[in-house]
Amino acid sequence: MNKGSEFRRGLSIAFRLGTELTVAVMIGAVMGYALDRYFNSKPWFLAAGVILGGAAGCLNVYRVSKEITVENDKDQNNGV
Amino acid sequence: MENPLHHFEIHPIVHLSLMGFDISISKAVIAMWVGLSIVFGLFMLVVKSGVRLIPGKLQIVAEISLGFIKDMVEEFIGEKEAPKYFPFIATIFFFVLACNLIGMIPGSYTITSQLVVTGVFATGIFILTLFIGFAKHGLHFFGILVPPGVPKIMIPIMIPIEIISMIARPVSLSVRLFANMTAGHTILYVLFGLAMSTPLMIGWLPFGFTVAINGLEIAIAFIQAYIFTILTCVYIGDVIHLH
Repeated sequence: MNKGSEFRRGLSIAFRLGTELTVAVMIGAVMGYALDRYFNSKPWFLAAGVILGGAAGCLNVYRVSKEITVENDKDQNNGV
Repeated sequence: MENPLHHFEIHPIVHLSLMGFDISISKAVIAMWVGLSIVFGLFMLVVKSGVRLIPGKLQIVAEISLGFIKDMVEEFIGEKEAPKYFPFIATIFFFVLACNLIGMIPGSYTITSQLVVTGVFATGIFILTLFIGFAKHGLHFFGILVPPGVPKIMIPIMIPIEIISMIARPVSLSVRLFANMTAGHTILYVLFGLAMSTPLMIGWLPFGFTVAINGLEIAIAFIQAYIFTILTCVYIGDVIHLH
């Protein structure tokens, strides 16, 4: 893998993480709010949705980080 | 000074309607057509002028950019499945890139700065991944909601989390492209407004920034098109390989 493509890959990951985390929380909140409207159960689903959304965001970021470590290991093995 | 978001508004140029739907032609529609015809025209020019063993300049550009996308598709989707999805992903890349770059021409319109446009792209890709998943794995596809190695007690909590992270994918895909393009163009507009409304003694400073950020915006146009395609590959690859 050459230097340029590595840099591009790093940039793409850096640009991803921010939105990945925020959007998951937003989706959780919106889904919780919709369920609250439907079941008339303010504010329980909203609270649960925000927490689950945060968890989902962390999970996404965790997966991206796992991708990076796997690729680094592969590169090092190729180099040796 | 006028509203910095003013140039994102869409005003119809030719009023048309078809069966109750508003299909008026506006600047955005024209920008989309121009992007489409640039991509189509470029590759038709390469093919029409003859694909040679010793490539000309234009052929080198086309070959390198297609080879770059081919490598990407093979890496994330797998070499066996890659030829099936390569045309679709290459089309997305070139269309998004052309639309981003057209926006950099003063007076034109960036259609990727509309959430509707990027949202439709991302929703289409999301529905496509669902189709591929169900066609390949049948009902086993629901297994994507339970990651491997999760203890049984955690499954009721993991399923909503996985559903949220699944739905977050198309939303973050569309919001990322839309937000980057909108923010960049708004910054350019505000800085240029500063440059125009101050005397030359101070005005050169924001003007210099405008020039610098224009360069940055062109880089971002490439990077965002690249991220959009690489994530499309990742999402399609995920449903094909299922963990």
